[in-house]
Amino acid sequence: MDLLGLANYAVFMGILIGIYALLALGLNIQWGFTGLFNAGIAGFFAVGAYASAILTSLPASGRLGGYELPLVVGWLAAMAAAAAIAWPIGKVCLRFRSDYLAIATIGIAEIIRLVIRTEGWLTGGVRGVTGVPRPFGDLDYMPSQVAYLAIVATLVLVAYLLVERQVRSPWGRMMRAIRDNELAAAAMGKQVEARRLQAFVFGSALMGLAGALFVHFNRSITPEAIDPMIATFLIWIMLILGGSGNNRGAILGAAVIWIIWSVSELLTDRLPTEIAVQAKYARVFIIGLTLQLVLRFRPEGILPERQPGSPPHR
Amino acid sequence: MKKRTVAAVVGAMLGAVVLATPAHAQDVKIGLMAAISGPIAALAPPMAAASKLAVAHVNEQGGILKGGKLEAVLGDSACNPQNATDAATKAVNIDRVLAIVGPACSGAVLATANSVAIPAGVLMITPSGTSPEITKLNDKDLVFRTLPSDDYQGRALARTLKARGIDKVAVAYLNNDYGKGLAESFKAEFEANGGTIAGYSGHEDGKASYRSELATLARGGADTLIIFDYGDGTGLSLLRQALENGFFKTFVGADGMKSEGLVKSIGAQNLGGFFVSAPVGEASASLDNFNKAYKAAGENIDAVFATTSYDAAFLVALAIEKAGGDKARLAESLRAVAMAPGEPIMAGEWAKAKQLIAEGKDIDYKGAGGDHEFDAAGDVPGSYAFFKVSGTGYESIADMK
Amino acid sequence: MSFMDFLNFHLVPGIVLGSVYAVGAIGITLVFGILRFAHFAHGDMATLGAFIALALVTAGLTPWTALPIAMAAVAVVAIGVDKLFYDYLKVRPKIMTVMASLGVALMLRAVVQVVFGVDPRTYATGIVRPDDYFGLLLRDRELYTLAAVVLIVVGLTLFLRHSRWGKAMRAMSDNPDLARLSGVDNRKVTMLTWAIVGALCAASGFMLGINNELHSMMGWQVLLPMFAAAILGGVGRVEGAVLGGLIVGIAEELSIFILPAQYKAATAFVLLLLILLVRPRGLLNGKVL
Repeated sequence: MDLLGLANYAVFMGILIGIYALLALGLNIQWGFTGLFNAGIAGFFAVGAYASAILTSLPASGRLGGYELPLVVGWLAAMAAAAAIAWPIGKVCLRFRSDYLAIATIGIAEIIRLVIRTEGWLTGGVRGVTGVPRPFGDLDYMPSQVAYLAIVATLVLVAYLLVERQVRSPWGRMMRAIRDNELAAAAMGKQVEARRLQAFVFGSALMGLAGALFVHFNRSITPEAIDPMIATFLIWIMLILGGSGNNRGAILGAAVIWIIWSVSELLTDRLPTEIAVQAKYARVFIIGLTLQLVLRFRPEGILPERQPGSPPHR
Repeated sequence: MKKRTVAAVVGAMLGAVVLATPAHAQDVKIGLMAAISGPIAALAPPMAAASKLAVAHVNEQGGILKGGKLEAVLGDSACNPQNATDAATKAVNIDRVLAIVGPACSGAVLATANSVAIPAGVLMITPSGTSPEITKLNDKDLVFRTLPSDDYQGRALARTLKARGIDKVAVAYLNNDYGKGLAESFKAEFEANGGTIAGYSGHEDGKASYRSELATLARGGADTLIIFDYGDGTGLSLLRQALENGFFKTFVGADGMKSEGLVKSIGAQNLGGFFVSAPVGEASASLDNFNKAYKAAGENIDAVFATTSYDAAFLVALAIEKAGGDKARLAESLRAVAMAPGEPIMAGEWAKAKQLIAEGKDIDYKGAGGDHEFDAAGDVPGSYAFFKVSGTGYESIADMK
Repeated sequence: MSFMDFLNFHLVPGIVLGSVYAVGAIGITLVFGILRFAHFAHGDMATLGAFIALALVTAGLTPWTALPIAMAAVAVVAIGVDKLFYDYLKVRPKIMTVMASLGVALMLRAVVQVVFGVDPRTYATGIVRPDDYFGLLLRDRELYTLAAVVLIVVGLTLFLRHSRWGKAMRAMSDNPDLARLSGVDNRKVTMLTWAIVGALCAASGFMLGINNELHSMMGWQVLLPMFAAAILGGVGRVEGAVLGGLIVGIAEELSIFILPAQYKAATAFVLLLLILLVRPRGLLNGKVL
């Protein structure tokens, strides 16, 4: 072990944290600011990932594409595709209140997952899409990772600034008003439904972008990447622990949870090798327990919503 | 303030890791990326145990390089790309492994190869990733597998069944890269040879009942059901429900179904009509060696992908020995030790192999799960045998061409 | 396809599967209705129950005598989990408790994997061929499963309708503030709810296991269909959960006639979305959360 290795590992973590931070930011728009319980993050992540993969990858037989389009086109298309899927879903489902919306979105994400697994002509089915380009992918290991981290970090920063600006604008105040008291907001003549739909679509587009960043990093995507645990529930844990309603909290939550998720393995590796396999199960236990401890001692999130005068409850 | 606490905790964790890693010049580490958590959790422990058995053989018989110890770093690839790349990054950068055995699932293999192994120049051998996409990887000759691509086995099985006089079958496959790959190649070859596919359907894993799928397949009128699935997973449920309900008379599986757990659970007396194909090497003594040692280690023989996991780890060790621990020469050395010509080495014969390598002689590893004559893409052509259930295990009844 | 084939290989398996979903969905609907959050540890609690029963069977009990003990054991576990991990989040937004239940799900699964391993297991080895009842093929275990489900549903309904504590639970579900004002002991009702929910978890896990195999992911894999069943029937409604469970189970087994088998798992969700569109409160008019 040397510092270079540690740095490389840190850069890798940074990339995944960045991708998860985008997902958490997207969710923060939906849940943190608008109160929409989207439990189908994996679906929008998947749509973005596959859209960009199909548009930018090398041509392949047996599935749609690839079209070898420039990366930027792929990324924009990822956001557009996720938004385009989110719009009808939102149109139909946003009338359901909290937990119902959650179950509906879980269902839609599962249906998207099954379609991706089964419709090979479109997505390559269970084999997935390969031959996806990675920007600066021809560089050596370290420089290539650093370059990718720079891209991811830039996009996270841009997304953060955009969301912050929106949230601080009258639009953001209106969203919080709708979240905290829908009836009052409606009574004041705010178009509640349209605003919520906007938030849902905007958040989903960010999730789609995260999917695109993920697929270009790994140069491939298979349906295994869109398992609900790793692509939906994990992000919820990140947002809630980071501090829902606070964009910095969302990013910080992504970092903390991913670091716990990843570093816990290094710890359990120190257990005797005879129980190495059991140690991996124990790691899952540790992840669950850490979650409980943070909820116990920091239930409002690491960085709570900064909203003087507004109650933390909803 | 809490932020600082978190940072401190993480720092302490990393610190503990740094301190706990002993630096021993002669020791060599390899990474075992097993899908310990996640959907194929049941397959992972026997695979990890088989790879570790290879490591134990190395250490018992003189160690690696100049008396060094071969150490296996176990990582949880969880069958998804996120965890697999994370585990592999840790193995490569923190544990400084020379090579990786795994990951298990094809999607994880693709992601790990693309974002860790290939950029980092680390040799990777998967014992169970069967997707044809792995063949297409632009891998700088770093990605190999000890399991033949599904294509070979599906075709071989189709020809064998046809030769045994079975003309009409139904096919049930698990909808993942393994099951679907086998089913597609089987179907193409079986039909090309004049056979009839009287039912063909994929299923998702984890459902509690497969009776309606089976009934629908049985309505095609075939007596034989081909199951491309895992005997430690859905394949077991499917086979049990087919037997209990009297669907089909004969059942044929591929290597994924060759599980001792399955025989124990259903009972050999009920499995008279159950056959499997599995890759074997031309030296069956190698498989015997492996089985004996694996059983002695307290494991069920005929665990799915156990032989290929053993071979992958053993080959990695041989390649490291041959390359003298030089990471850059591993791929070339792997081809040298795995492929003809050379003195044949069976599973478990580390001391002999080490001796021969030291003398500068060429060796040719004949594995427990195949001969491992890698082609240009790092794939192995398979040779297979056809097995029936016997006692609590399996007995080879015919070679497959 | 003959009518008997349809009954034996599509409808009966659907009903058996649906009954298992129903038992799980009742638990989910009780937590939803009384404690007002989506309990994601439900599936893994069921797994735990199934494996506790397995341990008892290994120790020499017959499966069906092991069931009540396993139910009692998981009831205790459920109360413990509530006290340790959910109780202090009561005053917080419900989303916190949902997250906590995800954490509990991971922890329970890890415990099962460490203690019992990850191999698929069964209560009895070998295979069971069905008995023929005038062409209707049924196994004893299926009959027992159906009987047990009926017993559970009738018992629970009577308890909720007529006993003092059952009424208190219903009052909590209908209007917690009013219930508290009328002197219902919140803490005791919560405890009682968890005891019942834990026992139901164990029962559903056990029935899933005895009709198929046990493995460490079994509960997680049926969690989403169970949620679908609970919402389908109407949140907070025991009869609704039973109806929802049966519909989801039967629909999954019949879906093969119109969809490729890969889409079997999607059936529950398609149904759910349809119901939410036309009857947002579920079939039996559950509460809106």
